[in-house]
Amino acid sequence: RRSASLSPSVSAGSACLLLWLCLLGKPPGLGGSLCTRGDSGCPPLSVADLFDRVIQHSDRLHRLSAKKYFLPSGNELAKSARRCHTSRMLTPNGKEYAQTIPREELTYVILRLLQAWKEPLSHFDQSTVHHQDLSDDSLSKAKEISNMVHELKTGVEKVTEKMQSMGIISNSLNGMGSSEAAGLSISNEANLMSNYEFIHCFRRDSNKVQSYLKILKCRIMPGNSC
Amino acid sequence: MKRKSLQQSISSITYVPHHLILFHPWQSPPGKPKIVRCHSPEKEMLACWWKPGSDGGLLTSYTLLYSKEGEGQTYECPDYTSAGPSSCYFNKKHINSWTTYIITVKAINEMGSSISEPHYVEAASIGKPEKKKSNKVVMLNFISFSPGQPPGKPELIKCRSPEKETFSCWWKPVSDGGLPTNYTLFYNNEGEESFYECPDYTTAGPNSCYFDKKHTSLWTIYNITIKATNEMGSNISEPHYVDVTYIVQPNPPVNLSLALNKHTDGKLYLLMNWSSPPLADVRSGWLTLEYELRLKPEEGEEWETIFVGQRTKYKVFSLIPGEKYIAQVRCKSDHGEWSKWSSESYIHLPKEFRLKDMMVWVFVAVLSSVICLIMIWMMGLKGINMVACILPPVPGPKIKGLDAHLLEAGKNEELLSALGCQGFPPTSDCEDLLVEFLEIDDSEDQQLMPNHEKGHPNKNLKSGNKETDSDSGRGSCDSPSLLLEKCKESRIPPAEFQTPDFSETQVKAAGKSSQETQNRDPELKLPDFNSDGVKSSTWPGTQLASSQIPKGSYHNIVEVCKVAFSAMNVNVSAIRMGNEEKHPSKYSKNIETICEGEMTQRRKGESFHSKAKADQALQWLLPNEKSPFLSDKPMDYVEIHKVNQNGALAVLPKQKENSDKTEIYPIPGTTKEYAKVTRVVDNNVLVLMPESRVQGMPVFQEPPKESAQSLHQSQAEKNMSYCLTAPSEFRLQTGGLEYMDPNSFMCSFK
Repeated sequence: RRSASLSPSVSAGSACLLLWLCLLGKPPGLGGSLCTRGDSGCPPLSVADLFDRVIQHSDRLHRLSAKKYFLPSGNELAKSARRCHTSRMLTPNGKEYAQTIPREELTYVILRLLQAWKEPLSHFDQSTVHHQDLSDDSLSKAKEISNMVHELKTGVEKVTEKMQSMGIISNSLNGMGSSEAAGLSISNEANLMSNYEFIHCFRRDSNKVQSYLKILKCRIMPGNSC
Repeated sequence: MKRKSLQQSISSITYVPHHLILFHPWQSPPGKPKIVRCHSPEKEMLACWWKPGSDGGLLTSYTLLYSKEGEGQTYECPDYTSAGPSSCYFNKKHINSWTTYIITVKAINEMGSSISEPHYVEAASIGKPEKKKSNKVVMLNFISFSPGQPPGKPELIKCRSPEKETFSCWWKPVSDGGLPTNYTLFYNNEGEESFYECPDYTTAGPNSCYFDKKHTSLWTIYNITIKATNEMGSNISEPHYVDVTYIVQPNPPVNLSLALNKHTDGKLYLLMNWSSPPLADVRSGWLTLEYELRLKPEEGEEWETIFVGQRTKYKVFSLIPGEKYIAQVRCKSDHGEWSKWSSESYIHLPKEFRLKDMMVWVFVAVLSSVICLIMIWMMGLKGINMVACILPPVPGPKIKGLDAHLLEAGKNEELLSALGCQGFPPTSDCEDLLVEFLEIDDSEDQQLMPNHEKGHPNKNLKSGNKETDSDSGRGSCDSPSLLLEKCKESRIPPAEFQTPDFSETQVKAAGKSSQETQNRDPELKLPDFNSDGVKSSTWPGTQLASSQIPKGSYHNIVEVCKVAFSAMNVNVSAIRMGNEEKHPSKYSKNIETICEGEMTQRRKGESFHSKAKADQALQWLLPNEKSPFLSDKPMDYVEIHKVNQNGALAVLPKQKENSDKTEIYPIPGTTKEYAKVTRVVDNNVLVLMPESRVQGMPVFQEPPKESAQSLHQSQAEKNMSYCLTAPSEFRLQTGGLEYMDPNSFMCSFK
């Protein structure tokens, strides 16, 4: 998806308008009614709210993946964690890097990570190899995680759109399509991982996503909870 | 060179006289030697080497001197050759005590001499290291020298990151073999082949390794090992895997401030403020910290822990005023560990003076004082009565029935009659009767005894036999009314002789017709008794009692009871001849039940049924002696003194003035007249007549009054005796009117 490129003044104006609408234009009397997608009656959310939601979601996701019953003890895992399928992705591995790379790139990294996990998670419960090692509890959790990842990705995409529409980040995002493609190729390798490796890798990546989102938010909107 | 020699010459100034300071470029006093090292190559041997200073261009000789610490004596090196040039070799013989030795080297040449810095050697163990820069620890064990061992296996204790940007690892030093041990830390990044050594061994303290920002990468697993090396060998620890993301333990929060503020509603609360640890970067969102507080009063034992979340301030209500509180705070990264508790902060809460509380107390005090005053005033108004109320006066002794006025008046006869005495000395009539009574009593006893034993086996158990005179009271007048009646009106006996016959038939009929099995025996007995009574012509006489009649035992009571009842029954039956059988049966039943009830009551306690019946019976008994003379007496008014459960009335004749004299047994505290029930109408109406002054009457009158009260066995027995010896009642009474136990009035019928 590529939004139309507008002239800076027009885009700025639209951004201002959008901002104004976001902050003030919350139609009253909508409390209690379900807000479905596409419904114009939904109150528009600000970027900050969107970010908060997304961050909360990623937090929940990480907690879910980090539950002890889901994972064996640390040292055993550590040995096998070298074969994460996302290991080859270039991601900032420190605060400085996360703060210095451009916002667009950071956003892109987040999206790529989420994309890279979309497929393997959806295949997780289908693979017979995985069934043997994990309990039913874990399998149901895996299903839940898969849904959450999908939701999170959708949420991040929404935020990205919003940011782009508001001019916070540029539109030149190297294309979302490439992230999908990259994700697909990577996810094939996910089948090679054992269950524990799989889980451990996911845990780490969900932590990455969470941290990057927080950094991104505070870079874009400092103050408040930053 | 020149400088050097100048330095040397300056350094040797202390040793060279002033006039000898000459700048000879090639001749000068020797430079200061320096002891390089002292070493123990073998057991109980010591060798020291020194490095000579400049010789000043002249031949310099070196002398090594040593002395023991604390002692003044100086010795010279024994052996200059064995250990090599510029050395001194010590034997155990020379250094043999466990103190510190001070070794110095003196360089002498023609121009002068110089002495090195003293070198200390501890005889026991380590020699002083000369350099401390490296981690290498030189250990000398002078006395006990053992062969070296390779070190044990080191172990990594923990790795921690305070802010998720750097981290440090600590290991446990291992038991070495007495040799200097060298530790090296190697790490390997995930995915990389090569191992690197720890970049910084010092910043984090001894036995640690510090990884700075450049060397820290998140989301990668470090494989860390420690190698311990000494001269004999080395040992490598187990690999330890570390992901920095999960080892975050922040420093404690800082600047914890406590302040007391006032809330909008006037309540005091404690506002706690703190800030995140300085290293943790919360601003950029890199670290998300959660905080936890804990509070306790200074004297308290347990901390109250409060989880605060991500805020950095907190309000505390519900604190105890006047207390001194201690507070601490700590923090945690979302996936890491809790930091240590911050340093303590104190606050002293002021004591609260709540106006409300004081007001309440003041109000209470005033109110109570007012009430007290009012009460005192009222008491004062009413006089001392209150005091009397609270503390009843101790009553003086009074004899019941003894009218003080009469005493004073000196009317002994009246007095005595008031007491219930038949006439003192007894009249001839009574004597006759008594004689008759005496005659019969024996035979009756024989007859009566089996009856009693038959019918009332239990009573013997219960009865405490009172004193029995030669003429046993059995069958004698337990009913004083009967006795008195007999005494007074000699006419009665004939009538009464007749009535038993009549009553006998009546009673028999009643007995036959009676439907109650309970009263079977008494009923049967009653006729027997009656028959007995009939046989003995002096049956009524048996009812007479004089002062000589002793206190009968309990079993007599029943007899008397029966007699009385039967007499009454007779009377009543006579009255109501025409009535249905049921009435007589009822009456007989009543009598029997009363008699029986006496027993059962003794046995089981009270039964209202029998009590009530007793009441009724007693009521009927009251006018016992009068009953034959029903129609003779006019009616009179009565006062109802008391109403019992079943509607029995304790009645009094209307009080007449000057009736005290005629009263025989004055009821304590009251002057009442007694009434006799002449007849019963409709079973619930008593037609009363004022009774004549018959002795013993009050005895019967009182029981109905008191019938509702419970009786103890002993009291009942007393009453019995009281009832029996009616004329002698005054003797029995011990207390005054006030002491009169109402129960004592109770007849044995109870």
